Amino acid sequence: MNNDDHDSSLPGGLDLRALSAFIDGELPDAERAAVEAQLREHPQAAARVAAWRAQKAALRALCGAPRHSEADARQERNEADEPAFIVVRRPAPWWQRAGIAACWLVAGAGLALALGPLAPRLTGGAWSGLGGQPPSFAERADIAYAVYTPERRHPVEVAASEEEHLISWLSKRLNRPLSVPSLQEYGYSLVGGRLLPGEAGPAAQFMYENQSGARLTLYVTGSARDETAFRLLRDGNRRTFYWVSDGMGYALSGPIAEGKLRSIAVEVCSALGGKPEAWQ
Amino acid sequence: MSFEAEVVAWLPQLRRYARALTGDRAWADDLVQDTAERALARWSAFRPDSNLRAWLLTILRHLYIDQLRGRREIAVDDESAPWRNLEAPHGEVDGLVLRDLQRALYCLPVEQREVLLLVCVEELSYDEASKALGVPIGTVMSRLSRAREHMRVLLTVGPADGAAAGTARKSAPLKVVRNP
Repeated sequence: MNNDDHDSSLPGGLDLRALSAFIDGELPDAERAAVEAQLREHPQAAARVAAWRAQKAALRALCGAPRHSEADARQERNEADEPAFIVVRRPAPWWQRAGIAACWLVAGAGLALALGPLAPRLTGGAWSGLGGQPPSFAERADIAYAVYTPERRHPVEVAASEEEHLISWLSKRLNRPLSVPSLQEYGYSLVGGRLLPGEAGPAAQFMYENQSGARLTLYVTGSARDETAFRLLRDGNRRTFYWVSDGMGYALSGPIAEGKLRSIAVEVCSALGGKPEAWQ
Repeated sequence: MSFEAEVVAWLPQLRRYARALTGDRAWADDLVQDTAERALARWSAFRPDSNLRAWLLTILRHLYIDQLRGRREIAVDDESAPWRNLEAPHGEVDGLVLRDLQRALYCLPVEQREVLLLVCVEELSYDEASKALGVPIGTVMSRLSRAREHMRVLLTVGPADGAAAGTARKSAPLKVVRNP
């Protein structure tokens, strides 16, 4: 340490940092006892501590910190002249976003009306849409959930602490910019992700976990299919909501109630640029 | 409690801290407003198991240091310095003593003032202060003891000595030193 931390007017062995930490109750028991003993011996050190204590009390008075004894009464008095609320300007209010979504919906509906008759020819009638077999990516997602979520030690290849790296790595492997939606609002935080072999190329699995250890996965892979609305795949107690949007298949899997999982899926879909409003 | 409600619950304390830090009510209210906005906009960056108060204080601190650069022209001994217009301190401690204390507080460099306020007034533990300030605990300890000693010297030297010493220190209080 430099000279600032010691003081020639104080006895050797006593540094200002220890006296300061003593006042704030931040010393371990042994060191505190040692400082107490030294204070009894050295009046100068005791005077320093007294001056700093007075300084602390005066600062609290200056800044309007409540004294512990009259904390409540003081608090009420202080709050009387405080602004009662704070104005928070949100970047885009929900109705504005909903409005934009509605515009897209109208535009999409118009396009569908115009192009609808062409659709069977474009897809070659290979996929009947409603009532068809679940695409294999949904099944793969469901299996990947079953395989990796019980893992306690190696649930993911890259952890959420390296989120930037995780996203850039998987974006590179899937050859398109991915983003990981936040599910904090539902109590799930990102654990990390891994790369998996998909139906026709690589797939990414992102894993989330809540405080009680329940896990959800979001599976993402390229898909040649048409856009789909949400579909549900049931397997035992696992539920997978899946959809296709803009050339990508997404599947959200977890062992939670269908209604809850669906509302999370809606959130994820719109966070990833899909238009779930059109499917409600 | 929802995240937003928790943020709102900390606002009175953030406001008190911002006022003490800046010595300017209007500036402090703006800082708190900006802090709350940024916190709510970036809630997804907050890890639920970490310390919300320290996180909010960190945001406030970054905003303050950014804004300080734009206001560097205010000299501490300036009659129009914002803290001069704060209402006269009241309470059980002598008003004149508090005036001197106030003057000394705004003579400290920002790094010393903030750690002193966080620990003495806001009662953050050293660990929380280290998180809020983004420095190791050892740095918190040495900065804090230096701040205390600096304050004590400012308060014990007479007004005449203080004025003489003040010329040397004049530029120091508003100097922004970025932590590496």
